[in-house]
This record gives sequence, C-alpha cells and structure tokens, in this order.
Amino acid sequence: MVRGTGVSEGIGIGFVHILKEQKPVFERHSITDVEKELEKLRNAVDSFVLSTEKLAAKLKNEAGEKEADILNGHIMIMKDPVLTSEIEKLIQGGECAESAVEQICNMFISVFSARDDELTRQRAADMEDLKDRLIKHLIGADDIQLSSLPPDTILCAREITPSMTAGMDKEHIAGIITEKGGETSHCAIIARACGIPAVSGAEGIMQLVHDGQKAVIDGATGEIILSPDEETMELCRERKAQYDESVSILRSYKGKPTLNFDGERYSILCNAGNAEDIDKVLSGDGEGIGLFRTEFLSMNRKKSPDEQEQFEVYRTAALKMQGRPVIIRTIDIGGDKDIPYMEMDEEDNPFLGLRAVRYCMKHPDILHEQLRAILRASAFGDVKILVPMIADIGELRLVRNMTEEIKKELSAEGKAFNENIETGVMIETPSACLISDILAKEADFFSIGTNDLIQYTMAADRGNSDVSYLYSVFKPSLLRAIKYTISSAKAAGIPVEMCGEAAADRLMTPLLISFGLDSFSVSPSSVLAIRREISLYTKEKADRITEAVMQMSSSEEIKEYLVQNDN
Amino acid sequence: MVKQKLLVINPEGLHLRPAGVFAQEMDRFKCDITIRYKGTRVNAKSLLSILAACIKCGSEIDIECDGPDELEAINKAIELIESGFEGV
Repeated sequence: MVRGTGVSEGIGIGFVHILKEQKPVFERHSITDVEKELEKLRNAVDSFVLSTEKLAAKLKNEAGEKEADILNGHIMIMKDPVLTSEIEKLIQGGECAESAVEQICNMFISVFSARDDELTRQRAADMEDLKDRLIKHLIGADDIQLSSLPPDTILCAREITPSMTAGMDKEHIAGIITEKGGETSHCAIIARACGIPAVSGAEGIMQLVHDGQKAVIDGATGEIILSPDEETMELCRERKAQYDESVSILRSYKGKPTLNFDGERYSILCNAGNAEDIDKVLSGDGEGIGLFRTEFLSMNRKKSPDEQEQFEVYRTAALKMQGRPVIIRTIDIGGDKDIPYMEMDEEDNPFLGLRAVRYCMKHPDILHEQLRAILRASAFGDVKILVPMIADIGELRLVRNMTEEIKKELSAEGKAFNENIETGVMIETPSACLISDILAKEADFFSIGTNDLIQYTMAADRGNSDVSYLYSVFKPSLLRAIKYTISSAKAAGIPVEMCGEAAADRLMTPLLISFGLDSFSVSPSSVLAIRREISLYTKEKADRITEAVMQMSSSEEIKEYLVQNDN
Repeated sequence: MVKQKLLVINPEGLHLRPAGVFAQEMDRFKCDITIRYKGTRVNAKSLLSILAACIKCGSEIDIECDGPDELEAINKAIELIESGFEGV
C-alpha cells in the first residue's frame, strides 16, 4: 500500500488512467522580423485568453464561481502590463517569442517559489501552467485532452495543473492521485468543490501503476490500494457507501445556524493552534475561534515574540474572523511544553508546578506584553482573553488588574482597543470547578478545558496507559464537575463554552445541552457533525437522558447507555 | 504626489482575486501608483508584482499616487482596500 496526503475526502474506486506529461517542445531561434514575432505573441495571447475564458465558464458550472476564479486569475495575469512588456522587450532584443515567454515566466516562478507563504508558492504553479499553455498556443500544439475519459477513472499524474483540472471530464473521474501538490493546490481545491476524492504527495506512485489497473483511494487518510483483491474491494465498497451517505447528510448543515430541535441557538467555535488553522476554521464553517492557543508563537525560536509580532498575529485572526469571536488563551507553557529561552527550572512535578498563569504570576512582564498585544488587537474584532490553569481567585484578579492598567497605558498612548473586552476563566483544575460560583462573579465567561480537567480530577496522567482506565470524561466525577461549573455560570448569568475533546464527542452532546452549555469549541473538521448532533435533541429529550445518566455509578454503564440512546 | 497608509483587512490578503481586481482598477488611472510594503516598492498596476510582494491580511501598506489623476486614484485605492474588496 502506498500513502500520500488525503486532500479531498471520500473513497474512490476505479481504474488507473495515467496522465503523461506533455511539456511543449520548441527550438530557441533568433529572429529577424521583430514585428512579425510581436504579432505572433499577440495572437497567442488572444487565443490563450479566449480558450481560458471557455475553461473558466465550464469550471464555474461544475465547481462554482470561486473555483473558476483560479482560471480568471490566469487571464488577469496574462493581461498584466508588466508581464507582456517584459516579454516584448526580449523579443525586441532578438529573442524568439517562445523563449521570451519562457524566460520571463521562469523569472516570476522563481520569485514566487522562494516565498515562505503557501498561497504565494501556489502562484508558481499557476505561472508554470500559464507558461506551458502560452507556449503551446505559440507553437500551435493542443492542450492535454481530459474531456472524454472512461467511467470510473482514477486519474494518476505527477501533477495536475489548473487548466487540466478545468478541462477534466469530472463525471467519469472516481479519484485523483498526484505525486506533487498539497492541500491548497488548485487540483485539491477543485476536487473538494466537485466532491472527487483525491490524494496528493504520493511520491513514487507513477512507477507503481499501469493503465487500467484496479485501484482504491481514501481521500481522508491518503491511503492508496493498488490491485485490491475481491475481499478488500467489498470492504471498500461498503466504506464508500457509508461515507457518501454521511457526507450528503453533513453537507446540508453547512452555512446553517446551530439550533437544537426546539430551535434554541448554540454556537460552534473552533480550536486553532497557529495562524494557518484560522483558514481551516473558515473553511470548516466554524462560528469563531473558541480557543486560540498562543504557544506556537514561542515554540522553535530563540527569543520571545515581542508585542508587535503578537499584535499582528492576533489582529490578523480578528480581521479574518470578521466580527466573530476570537478567544485568545494567554500563554500556557510549562507542564509538558518547555520553551528553551524561558529557562524554566526542572521540576519534580511539572504538571503541578509553574504552568500557564502560574508562570505569568512569576514573570508578569511576559503576561503584560501579551495582554497589550491582545488589547490592541481587540480594536479589530470580537477579541476575548482566556486565562488557563486558574486555581485561585488571586490569579484571575492579577490578570484583570493588569488588563485595567494596560487600558490606561493604551489610552495615554492614543492606541485603540475595546474598552469592554471580556476576560474568561479556563476551568481545568478541580479547584476552579469547586470555586466556580466565586469565579463566576468576577469572570465574563467560562471555558471548560476537559482534557486537563479529567487529568487533574482523576489524578491520572493521560499519557500513562497503566492508568488510562481512569482517563474518561464519562466518569461520574467529571460529569458532576462539568454540571456544577455550568450551573455556577448560569446562576451568575455568564456564558460557558467547552474547548476540550469532550466538546466534539457526540455522546456528550445531550448531556451538554441539558447542563446548559452555550458554545462548543471543536476542531474545524468536527463542526458539521456536532451541529447536526445538536439539531437532533429537544431540551426535554436531552434532560431525560441526562437524568438517567446522573443516577449511574460507573463510566462504563454511562457510556453504554449513551451509545444505546445515540441517534 | 499623494499617499495613504492602509490596513489590508480582507481574509485572503492581496492574493489572486483581490490583487487582480486591484491591479485592474489601478490600471485605469494615468498616474504612477506604487505600493510600499516592508521596504519594497511595488507597481500597483501589475498583478504579478503585487503577488510577488506577498501582502497578507493584517499587513500595513502605503499607497502612493503620482500624476494628473492622483486624487481619484488614491480614493479608489482606499475604497477598495478599506472595504476589504466587498462587493467586487
């Protein structure tokens, strides 16, 4: 079995069709009639634009306007006055049109490929595609024809360019495998838009396949099975049927508000661990960022990120979310997350030591810098502060007092911020849970971090398999802790979100609805599944299940009951 | 010459579609239009030059217009960038 990266979900079953590369071949020659060569270039540009417009119109029908924009982009690039004037300059210097096009395009390709930004590097692929096609128009060669393929084709190529993707006979394509490319390649974007399973980055696949070979691909896991036996095929067909059904159900929840069966509103936010995750939140249909982890800013570097750098990252997140909430967790280092330059002392018990807000109590300068950056970013969207590892009211007060001081500083400096920025407490220690009624009076919201709450409540290391029987959110102690925390928040009139893995566990959904949770913060890929799950429960049904569960004495019993009552 | 500092607010930054719209709109003006970003000067009428500058969401840029219709040009630039390319 070969494996690549799954870039477009779904199971593809069919027969391999190898796409051979056809780079245009031309002979570099000197020219005598400059005017004639310029004329040739203009004609090629015109016919390039015309054929690309046709492809874009086809793509718009099949995949949508946004996807067709990729090809409209090629037309815009072709019309760039700098591009054409540079090519013309070379021709005027005696270069043939083909070579002039190649040289200038290569120049831009090398500029784009050198950037550290994935989207800009993708433009290099666009230029490569544009260059080859423009040269084909110059020498009068045909574009690759993919417009008539046999049914159940698994297209296999080193790379698939945007123009090839557009020209493809998508009805007959069961799957796409490429050696190059990744999640953000045009091919992947269009495959996703058309619902065609695709696997990219399958290095060496071209040496292993032959035309007409039976193949199965899994666009979620990146698995490729070549020449499967009948037993495997049967399994794959079953998986495909299941997958296709669940996808069509989930897709209908995209872009919809999150409502339970009674029509009560909930929000589904997403967890983000770095700047790139923000785009996944948008594509996954998240309603905001419920947990923006900020440790990535400090990892893998020699000195701490300064205020300006942090500010720019938070501001970008706020801008991208366009008014939807962005809950930024202050730095959560310590425990298992060591940052070299912070010179943290070795501790006997790091998980019970100088972690998160405790580290900030000892190093207020670090927190001060981060809070300034967060406050300044609050001028650009619905930014909130979330403080991790609170066990004592003094920790919350420190952060709140510092926030008030910073507001004065920023006002004096004439810098914009949100005067009413909210500060929330992460409930992840048993102490925070037990004093949640006290904390609720001074916090603007709660966020329950179940991963640590389980570990600290059960006193069980989640990484230690010998005690893994203790590590479960379905333990009666955990359910009581969560219930009590939410009821404290309700009594004080503040909202509660949950950002641990339990928020994305479908079996937990009825309990969380019954307890009164307001927001679920999950990974972008779980948004639609949880939105659907919530929609299936009335408050009354959730209450009935919860009432029964809260009488039970073991997690095994609880889980079994929840599985039986699962929709 | 007129100039203005602006914040790029649309989520995708000055990438293919917004950059293309921006370059096309700027190309309608006679004046020279330059984007200054991180110490480089970019021809605002050239899509490829804008793309090469790799201007992301959250970036601050300076627009400079120099020529007969510089005022109209800078107003259009401000409108496009500040609206986050809404409705284009």
